[in-house]
This record gives sequence, structure tokens and C-alpha cells, in this order.
Amino acid sequence: MKADPKSVLTGVYYIDGDVAAGWGALAAGCKFIAGYPITPSTEAAEAFARVAPKAGAIFIQMEDELASIAAVLGAAWGGAKAMTITSGPGYSLMMETIGYGAMLETPFVLLNVQRGGPSTGVPTKTGQADMMQSRWGSHGDYEIIAISPDSPQEMFDYTIKAFNLAEKYRCPVMIMADECVGHMTEKVVIPAADEIEIEPRNFYKGSAEEYLPFKPGSDLIPQIAKAGDGLNLFISGLAHNEKGYPVKKDEPRGIYLKRLIDKIQKNKDKIIELKEEETENCEVVVVSYGISSRVAIKGIDMAREKGIKVGNLRLVTVWPFPDEKIRELANRVKAFVVPEINYGQIVFEIERCCDGKANVVLVPHGGAGVHNPQDICDAIELGAQKEKKSEGIIEFKTRLEKLVFEGNWSAKE
Amino acid sequence: MFEIRFAGYGGQGIIRSGIIVGKAASIYDNKFATMNQSFGPEARGGACSSQLVVAETKVLYPYVTKSDILVAMSQAGYDKFESELKENGILLYDEDLVKPKSDRVNTTFAIPATRFAEELGIKIVANVVMLGFFTAITDVVSPEAMKKAIPDSVPEKAIPLNLKAFEKGYTYGKNLKKPA
Amino acid sequence: MSTFIETLANGIKESGINPQKISITSDIPFRPEDIKYLGVDYFHTNRGRAVAFGTGLKLTNPSLKVIPIIGDLITLGGNHLVHAGRRNMELTVICINSFIYREIAHKSAPETTTKFSAYSTFEEPFNIPHLANSCGAVYTARWTALHTDELAKSITEALQKNGLSVIEVLAPGLNYYQGIDKIESSLLNFYYENSEIKEGIEPRETEIRNDQKIIIGRFTTLERPTYLDTYNAQLTRVLGDKFIPYSGAVAEPKKEGE
Repeated sequence: MKADPKSVLTGVYYIDGDVAAGWGALAAGCKFIAGYPITPSTEAAEAFARVAPKAGAIFIQMEDELASIAAVLGAAWGGAKAMTITSGPGYSLMMETIGYGAMLETPFVLLNVQRGGPSTGVPTKTGQADMMQSRWGSHGDYEIIAISPDSPQEMFDYTIKAFNLAEKYRCPVMIMADECVGHMTEKVVIPAADEIEIEPRNFYKGSAEEYLPFKPGSDLIPQIAKAGDGLNLFISGLAHNEKGYPVKKDEPRGIYLKRLIDKIQKNKDKIIELKEEETENCEVVVVSYGISSRVAIKGIDMAREKGIKVGNLRLVTVWPFPDEKIRELANRVKAFVVPEINYGQIVFEIERCCDGKANVVLVPHGGAGVHNPQDICDAIELGAQKEKKSEGIIEFKTRLEKLVFEGNWSAKE
Repeated sequence: MFEIRFAGYGGQGIIRSGIIVGKAASIYDNKFATMNQSFGPEARGGACSSQLVVAETKVLYPYVTKSDILVAMSQAGYDKFESELKENGILLYDEDLVKPKSDRVNTTFAIPATRFAEELGIKIVANVVMLGFFTAITDVVSPEAMKKAIPDSVPEKAIPLNLKAFEKGYTYGKNLKKPA
Repeated sequence: MSTFIETLANGIKESGINPQKISITSDIPFRPEDIKYLGVDYFHTNRGRAVAFGTGLKLTNPSLKVIPIIGDLITLGGNHLVHAGRRNMELTVICINSFIYREIAHKSAPETTTKFSAYSTFEEPFNIPHLANSCGAVYTARWTALHTDELAKSITEALQKNGLSVIEVLAPGLNYYQGIDKIESSLLNFYYENSEIKEGIEPRETEIRNDQKIIIGRFTTLERPTYLDTYNAQLTRVLGDKFIPYSGAVAEPKKEGE
């Protein structure tokens, strides 16, 4: 179905990524955001709070992030498209309830505008160090979808996509943005409502007696219900059967997990979005996501000027991870270069998929800024010099690391 | 590609300046413009800056590394960002508020922006006077685009005054034969 | 059915509200047969989040009546209750107080030591009605689980209030059956026999102490605008015609063939 014109602020704007995400949520049909202010994500909640009352939607500032995520799940089971917005410390607080959401197969969206960490870290500057947390942060086994936008325009577009994925796969979807993208102001084009495709909620319409809230269709995804429809719902975070009832001693326990995993893993081809450029005949492939994928292009251009054949693979979808794509490339290339604003997260996924067939160079960054494109270029050169075999993850020192750890840093620089 | 730094203190419309030029360049001149403002302690402590990268293609690196243009509306802003300016970079400054060092004579342009704004009746349009000056001296944006971007960015009542302020700075810049 | 479930069912029935429009949110696990019997929707939340989850449910679909049933002396998620009171969120909170903290029973009562408090506990419990009242709840009461008629009446009254109601129930847990379990029964009897009804008393006076009778009853009832009342009033005042009064946020359903 098409977006509701009331909720789409059609026009051409010069706004930051946070605002674009807030407006994207509204356009996607989000009617409920619960959140607690935290830099650098606050502007997204503010933007939604400003426009929501004019579109029949509501924003509520909860008492903390524990409450925000719980209220979002409540809203989702009340029948709303719902989202919460946060950054590092708030994200950590939400973790337990994210797993609860995954267990109940609840469609909701979480925007994490990542900042420098750990702990309070660097609240006003960028980071990409919550990527593994987004996948594994809650206890137990589960699957989520995570996408990583690289511009204000994508903050708008991919927030809509996140809502559509959440509805389609009945699971939490994380928008793993970062401070740089959130706070950067650029041109954003918001199309007319009838040009925005919206995934409606797949509500169950049959009889109460026959309803099984966790019985999947052929696509492995069950139809959802909402409170108040006389379905006598029993929805529990306990291991449950298709009816939602806690599994009994004589029932096989744990088997429900298989489908929770499969509904994402078996639909990977439909979920994953990648942007690939000049990977056909390259020696080295740069794999990146979020703001790093923009800065990487600069490094790639520098390396190409030096005559190195470099391909570029951008992970728009980070989770589920595109194993097959990396495996296929690992057969052909000498090395993967992975710039990320952390000391190694997604790079380990790439190393795993390489399976000893290619080298991997991590271009690390401790946060509070983006990569120096020259570092990325150097790492590409390093990768290109290596033989086509695996030495695992090759150590690479950035210019800043050399400067600081070799004792040549002064406050002026 | 232009890397531009606007520097001044809170209340002078430094962030707004970055937004107006970015909007003019990206929406009305069909270029690409990425604006970042200072967040954190430095944004709250009086000193204030915004950085803008304007290019013909998508801006890949979103921050200023070495600026091509520095627009200084305060002495502190000038002192902080002068070293970031490229060797042949252009300096624009409010001559009543900033006393620049004497090097870079050939690429330094001065305007009494705040004084002009006061003459127009309201000091807060000093940044728009400066934007007119900026448009006249540099090749970053067209005056037509600026005249479309300004009304988008100010309250409706204030549009005529802001356009007048822009015109004042623009004319002054065009008539300025040589650098200060 | 357990004593409490029956009492809850009676309270709901008497209120005249269609159970299909009632949602129970609770971090205490109910049994499927109880929920079937009550005819409500049930959400078993993760620990401590029943009130916050209920807030989202209620705001999305204001025609629902939401009953968060919480326990543990409002430790986990206590902050949610405090702020639900401040906002006057329309929730009917029932707090099952099993006194894990304090050896309420002295002399003639059974032991209430737990594995965490093998030598009995010394911490003071919250005075829950007083806490709720201070935070802005529009209805507060306390009953023991054996005061079934009074408790059912309180549940009816609370469901009919607009705003946050808080009822404390002294009980060893959710699923107890009068007369079946020896320890539970003697504990319940102890509560029952050592309580004294004082209706309308200042909540601050209702502290539960070792050396005096447990004060029970309906303590406060008052009127305050609810969260959505104040939200709609404020936004109408500020935005005028541009404001679309908020009445719920249920998503568009998928149509055939979509």
C-alpha cells in the first residue's frame, strides 16, 4: 500500500540525518515513538515529536530507556507501528527487552545513532562500535535485521525500509546509524506519498478458536494479532508453542528457536541489500558500512590512482550478514580491507567467511571521528602487496596511532 | 570543491549561515553540500562554528580538513581556525570584530557587517550581510540561489529585511576592488 | 481457579467491562487456563516491565483497559510505577506483595526466610499505597487475598477510575488455593487475622509493621486529568486546528492480495 499523505512531508529539504529519520518514521506509518533523550539521537525524536501531533501520531518521553523499549513493544502489540530512538548507553539498557521483542516476534524499529564508547565515551562524536551488540546484545539466540545508512537521504529512505522489513519478517529492525550521519546536514528529497511503498500489518482475521499467534505461513512468518480483538491472546517470553502457551515437559523444548533463526536466515536473499562496484576484476575489496563507506570511496579513489584494482562492497544490510557474497569474493581477491569505527567487529565476520582464502586488513578507528582516507588507501596498498593466501587479520597501524604511540603527538596537532 | 568554515560566537547565526549556503548550493544550484556544526562543550561555551563542504559530486569526506574559505565573525573564531585555512585560502571577516594577522594580504577581505546590520536597524542580520559579501567574493554559490535560500530559512516577517541585508553585503563585495 | 484469579474475575465481571477489551500485562507468569477463564488478552513481559509495556498498549489503543499485575515489592520497574503516577496513565495496577523482604510473621506465623535471606530479612518494605498516592495515583487500596469480596469490589472501582489505580494485595503469590497448601494457607490466615480495615485513612499511616496490625482498606480516591486528557488539551491549545486529537495508533491492516 501507499503512504498516508498526512504523514509525508513531501518536498526538498536541507536537514540533518536525525531529522530525516524522524520524518521517515512518520512517512513509514509509525504512529508511536517512545524514547528518552540521548545525544546524538535526540534530534530524531524531537523531529518526530514536532510533526506527530499534526498527523495523528504520538511521541512520549518515557522515564528511561528500559521503559521506552517496553512501551514500544506494548504499542506494537496494541497494533501500532512503533519505534524507539537511542544511542550507546540507552541501547545497552534496552538489550534485555530487545530479546523479549525478538522472542515474541514483535515488529518494531530501533534507531541507534552510534556515538563514541564504551561507557559515556564521546557523546557528541561518532562511533560504529555497537554493531556486534546489535546482533548479540540480548541474552539467548535470536535474529534481527540491521541496516546502516550513510547520508540524511538514506536516513529517510532506510527508516521506511526498516519499518517495511519489521512488518514483513515480524522482527526487530535496527537502524545502525552513527553521529556523523545523524548530525550531518544535506539535501533530502521527500517524494509524494503515492511514491512511497508501505508494508501494511499482516493482522490475523480468522476466528479466535483457530488462531495460533506463532504458527508460521509458508514464508516462516506467522500472522500477528493485536490486543482487544477477542482473540484471548496468551503472549509470553517463556519458550512457547504455536498457541503461545509455555511448552510443557513432554513437548520438545527449544525447537521454536529453529524457526526464529530460519525466518531471517532462509529469507536472507530477500532481506539483504548490498552496493557493489568494480568487484569483478579486483585484487582488493573494501567492505564497509555507514559513514565509513562514504569515506572509504575517497581512499579507494586514491588507491586506484596508484593503479591498484580495488572493488567496493557496501553493506547496507549488516545483519543478517552476507556470508555468501564474502565467500564468493574470497575465492577471487587477495585481500579484504575493512574500515570500521571500532577495533574490529564486522571484520571478524569477514575473516570467518574468508575461510583462509584471502587476507583481511582492518583499518581501525577508536571513534570520535571518521577515518583518514589516506589510511584506507595505505591499507589497500598493504592488501595488494600480499600473496593470495591467508595470514588472518593483518596488523595495520593508522597514521594517528603511529603518531601517538610513537611519541610524536603534540596537543597542537 | 570548497571547504568552508564559519566561525563566531553563539547568537550570531553561524550555524544558520552554514545551512543557508548549503541549502543554496545543494537545492538551488544543484551541487552537493554537506554541513556539520560543532556539538558538545565548544558549542555551548560561546565560541561557535559550522563547517560546509560544497562539491560538484557527492561529498565523501564530510568534514573540513584544510579550509578554502574562513568566514570569521569573532576574534576567537579567527584565532581558532586561522591555522586551518589553506595557504592561498580566502579569509572574510567583520572588520570591527576581528583584527587579522598581516600575512595573506592578497586573499583577505573585510566588511563592517555588524555595523551595516545595525544601520539596517537590527544587529542579528550581520550574518546575512556577511553572506552577501561571501557570495560576491567567492564562487561557491550564485546570488540567485542565495536569494531563494534565505527566505526559506528566516521567519516570513523578516524576509524583506534579510534580503536587504544580503543585498547590502553583496553590493559592498562587488564594489570592493581589491583585498583589504 | 486460584483464589486470586476468581477474585479478579469477579471484579472484572462486576465492572461491566467486556473482558475482550481488557489486557493483563504481568511479569508474573499466569497459567493459560487462568487467562482462558478470564477471557482477556495476556502479555507476560520480561521482568519489571509490565507497567511500561502496559503504557504502550494503552496509548496505542485507548479503548483498552490495561491491568499490569506486578510483584516483588515494586523493585524491578519501580520507576515505571512512579512515573505512571506522575502522568496519571490509565492503568489498573495490582501489586501482589509477598513480603520477600521482611519477616512479617512474628511468633505464631510461619517462617518467611528465603534462600537470599536465610537468617530472615531486616530491610523495610515500601508502603505501597503511600508511595502510589504520593506519585499521583487516583485510587489506592490494600487487601489481603482472603478479603475476596472487598478486593473484588476494589478491582471494580479501580477499573472504573480514569487514571492510575494501585491495589496492593497481600498474598504469597499469584497461584494459591485456599486450604490446599499448608504453609500458604497459614500465612494467608495470618494476614487475614492480623489485619484491620481502616477505610479512608491517610496512606502515610498504613505502614506495615511487626508490632501492629496490618492496616487494609480502600485508602484514597480522587480525580485528576489523565495523560491523554492533558496531552490532547495542551496540543489543542498550542496547535489549534493543526492538531489531530489523538485517539489511538492502530496500523492499517493488510488487505486481501496485498
